Amino acid sequence: MYAPLLANRYLTSRVIPFIAVGAVAMCVALVIIVVSVMSGFLNMVRETGRSQIGDVVVTHDVVGIPFYQEFIAHLEALPEVAAASPVIETFGLLQMPYGVAGGKRVETVQVWGIDPVSFDKTTGYQKTLYWKYPSEARRAELHEEDPRLSPLYDGLADAMAMQKLATGEDGVVLGIEISPFNQRMRDGTYRTEDPLSGEQSRAYWMPATEGVTLTLVPVSDRGSLQAEKKHQFRIVNEFESGVYQIDAQRVLISLEAAQRMLRLDSAPIVSRTEVDADGRPKVLGQSAARATTILVKSNEQCTALQLKYAVEKAYVSFVEKIGPDRAIAERLPGHIDVRTWEERLKDLIGPVEKERELMRTLFSIIYLVCAGLVLSIFWAIVAEKTRDIGILRAIGASRAGVLWIFLRYGLFIGLVGSTVGIGVAALVVSRINDIHGALGIPAPMWLKIAVMLVALAAIVMSVRSILRNRALATVLWGFGSIGLMGIAVLLWFHQGFQIWDPSVYYFSKIPSDLDMFTAVTTALGGVVFSVIGAAVPAAKAADTDPVRSLRYE
Amino acid sequence: MGDAMLLRAKGVHKTYRLGRVDVPVLAGVDLEVREGEWLAIVGSSGSGKSTLLHLLGGLDRVDKNSGPIEFLGEDLRGFTPARENRYRNRDVGFVFQFYHLLPELTVLENAMIPALVGISRLRYARERKAITERAMELLEDFGLAHRLKHRSSELSGGERQRVAIARALINRPRVLLADEPTGNLDVKTGHGILDLIAGRHGAGTTVVMVTHDAAIAARASRQVLLTDGKAS
Ligand SMILES: Nc1ncnc2c1ncn2[C@@H]1O[C@H](COP(=O)(O)OP(=O)(O)OP(=O)(O)O)[C@@H](O)[C@H]1O
Ligand SMILES: [Mg+2]
Repeated sequence: MYAPLLANRYLTSRVIPFIAVGAVAMCVALVIIVVSVMSGFLNMVRETGRSQIGDVVVTHDVVGIPFYQEFIAHLEALPEVAAASPVIETFGLLQMPYGVAGGKRVETVQVWGIDPVSFDKTTGYQKTLYWKYPSEARRAELHEEDPRLSPLYDGLADAMAMQKLATGEDGVVLGIEISPFNQRMRDGTYRTEDPLSGEQSRAYWMPATEGVTLTLVPVSDRGSLQAEKKHQFRIVNEFESGVYQIDAQRVLISLEAAQRMLRLDSAPIVSRTEVDADGRPKVLGQSAARATTILVKSNEQCTALQLKYAVEKAYVSFVEKIGPDRAIAERLPGHIDVRTWEERLKDLIGPVEKERELMRTLFSIIYLVCAGLVLSIFWAIVAEKTRDIGILRAIGASRAGVLWIFLRYGLFIGLVGSTVGIGVAALVVSRINDIHGALGIPAPMWLKIAVMLVALAAIVMSVRSILRNRALATVLWGFGSIGLMGIAVLLWFHQGFQIWDPSVYYFSKIPSDLDMFTAVTTALGGVVFSVIGAAVPAAKAADTDPVRSLRYE
Repeated sequence: MGDAMLLRAKGVHKTYRLGRVDVPVLAGVDLEVREGEWLAIVGSSGSGKSTLLHLLGGLDRVDKNSGPIEFLGEDLRGFTPARENRYRNRDVGFVFQFYHLLPELTVLENAMIPALVGISRLRYARERKAITERAMELLEDFGLAHRLKHRSSELSGGERQRVAIARALINRPRVLLADEPTGNLDVKTGHGILDLIAGRHGAGTTVVMVTHDAAIAARASRQVLLTDGKAS
């Protein structure tokens, strides 16, 4: 019955338990914060890739898939499928509206012909469009100089129609990193800057420029190149996918425009031998329009892999449904390539998975270091109590009873420390962007002066302690004033550090989701190591003969 | 109160190992402690007085080839861990040369702690009042009534030793084992402590006391001299 009494006294009558709680909390918080941010970052990279292409991609390169509308209707009837969208993937040359010495610059681009409405349903296209008038909540967050706050910079309707609605011209949407005038700011937003003055200028806003010329080269189904096709487009918007490789290379046009330019649209099939009454080759029928790719998005319940098998099966049944005659006439491919988004984006996701491995290793090391720290703190605390354990054993306390005191002690410190640690981690992770933002700007003047004054006061106090012959006070004030002085100097000269620079890193925000699994396991680890750290030296002391524990004063 | 045999050491050996060298401290000590007597063990410094007392109190073990120490005929070497704990807790009360109080506890709690050891929460709830009263009574007897809530670090050496004696007596042991209870005290304070012990002895407690001071040993009813690892 003495265990609660002593455990409480050990906890309340000394400073050490507070230090121990602080140390456990720091360790727990550190691990949770690091892992949450790192795994949040990696998940963001993955999910960004996924949101570009849906869950499953069906392709039949170059010649494309005929009857794609029917196939999409067939797919959308499946319970696994939430939406599907046809795409034409190809490459092209884009003559930009700007250039050097009178000429125009030409970019090699990856061209996607899309159907904006279904593309939005499968990939979240609208969300990636950059030039749109922000919602009220979003407006409050934006920097006052953000051009999008002006309705003049709104290109949403045009992008959703894939044409300049005012003039009816065909529209093109560029990846936002293609234009060199789009300058990424520290907060991850863009300005269209005049390269000479550095000012925000609407003249360098791509949708405000004159038309661009896109050149595509159709390829016959035997693989030979045909005469290139040029077409005039107006830039109607730009998109930001969050993946640099995509944003620096891809342009989007309408599916119809792509079909026309690549001769994948519906066209009359003419006979090579027979002629009509008017002497023209005889029309045998209409060929089906084609798409090279179909993006499929799963409903929430099924995984990408399940969807892949469902789509593969659906294709077989679709070919049967179409009928063998039509299938042969239209050269409906006997086999199509179906891949999950992970398979398709292997080159993007591969390094991310490697990083995840690396992170796990680093995380284990951090975890071990923290565990060691907690263990050694308890070791020191309990080692100091060896004499008490000797006394207790000498007055008849059992080994288990003595152990129980320190188990309670470790358990309490571990629980409180872990709880505080989770709280600190939750606070830091949820506010990490604010904290980072505050670090990113120079310190306010009042703070600089306040810290300077406190530092000076500390120096005065340490001099006073020297004069009064107080060793401890001198040491504390001395080191305190050195530390404060250092902080003051740092604040004075520091212009704001940007650890996570969104103009370099591709995400404008640091992930701020607490990883619950990590939080729980780490807190548990905090408790376990506290208890082990307290129990092992206590057990050792409990096993020692009391005389030996008591012999040395 | 007859002269029943309380403690008996028969040919007790105790050797300490210092590095590779064996240092024999006790080499065949024979000792008998009868119920109700006040025995003083005397001897020069380093003669093994504390060692012998620790062995009698069950705080240390005799050598493998040693003879037994018996408490009421029961060999201490045969004790189970539970019996050993009960022996230290109930059968003997030990007073150390250097007090050994628990610094985080108050004077009252220090005096009570052996009574709290080894009792259940339930029994504690029932006996708490009685235990507290007994501890207070002892401390008042020892002139510490005004010190109950103080920490041991706030006490003088004499006061600490009195708390230590109160702690040793709280469970009403059959024998009080006191190792130089006056060793660190001035003569006057020392005699105050001895008066206390004398009072307890008068009330029927058996006392075994270690000292190297002949004047103090003279207050005991019997003396044993420890020389060359043997008692005489
Ligand atoms: N744990 C130990 N390890 C090694 N040697 C020990 C140990 N305990 C005691 N000794 C040695 O045994 C001898 C007797 O020690 P003990 O403390 O019993 O003497 P003492 O008669 O009580 O002396 P004092 O009057 O100074 O208290 C000493 O030489 C001491 O160094
Ligand atoms: Mg001694």
